[in-house]
Amino acid sequence: MADLSITVRQAGEVAVLLPAGFINAHTVREFEVALEGIVDRGCYSILINCQDLNYISSAGLGAIMGLIETVREHAGDILLSNLQDNVFAIFDTLGFTQLYRVFTTEDEALAAVAPERKD
Amino acid sequence: MDHAQFRLVIPSQTRYLNLVTGLAKRAALSAGMDDATAAKVSIAVDEAVTNVILHAYRGEGEHSVELELRFTETALEIHILHSGQGIRSDQMVLPDPKEYIKHPRKGGLGLLLMSRFMDEVQFKSDEASGRNECCLIKKIS
Repeated sequence: MADLSITVRQAGEVAVLLPAGFINAHTVREFEVALEGIVDRGCYSILINCQDLNYISSAGLGAIMGLIETVREHAGDILLSNLQDNVFAIFDTLGFTQLYRVFTTEDEALAAVAPERKD
Repeated sequence: MDHAQFRLVIPSQTRYLNLVTGLAKRAALSAGMDDATAAKVSIAVDEAVTNVILHAYRGEGEHSVELELRFTETALEIHILHSGQGIRSDQMVLPDPKEYIKHPRKGGLGLLLMSRFMDEVQFKSDEASGRNECCLIKKIS
C-alpha cells in the first residue's frame, strides 16, 4: 500500500479532501499539491475528512498552515472532520483546534458551512 | 524486563520514515504503553528523524541515521545518532503555540511536538567524533 493516497470530491461549494494513510515529510508534497490544486481553481471552502488518515506529522500541519491565510482572505476556510484519536491529539496539543473548526462527521461540517454560503 | 537494546541504521531518506515510526510504535507497545501513548512516541520519532534528514543532513540522502532503542525498567529511550549538523539542548527554542496561531507560518512545530509527547528530549554533540545525538525518553507509568 502506498504511504498516502488522496481523493478530492466536490460537495456543493465545498471541496472535500480525503487523505488515506500517512502524511509525513516524505508524502507531504503530494498533500500540498492536492490542497494547492483546490485553491488554484478558485475553491476556498475546503473540508479535510480525516477518516482514513492514520497519521500526520508537523510537515502536514505546516502544509495546512501555509494555505490558511490565503483561504480566509477569500472568505473561505479549512475545516476538519472525522479525526482519529491520535490525529486529534496532534492538533489539540498544538492548540490547532482553536484555529480550525473540527467536526465529528463530514455531514456536520458541510451543514456548518451551508448557512454561511446562503448570504 | 531485561535491559534490551536494539539498533537500526537507515539511509538519510524520508522514504524510510514510515518504517521507523512503525518500529517506534511497536517498541512503545512492547514496553507496556497504551495505543495513544505509543502513537505519540512514534510521532516524536518521526519529527526527530525528519529533523536529522532535512536539517542536519540538509536533505542529502547518502548519509546514515542510527536509531538505538533501549528498554529500561522505567522508560523507553530512543537515541537518534548522526554525523550531520548538530544542535545542543540549550539551542532548542520552542515556539509559543499561542503566538504561532496568531501568526501562522510553516515549520517550527516538530520540536514542540517532540517536547510535548515525550518526557525528556535531549540533544548532545560530540565535537571530537563529530557525532550528534537526539535522545527521546518516555517513562513507563
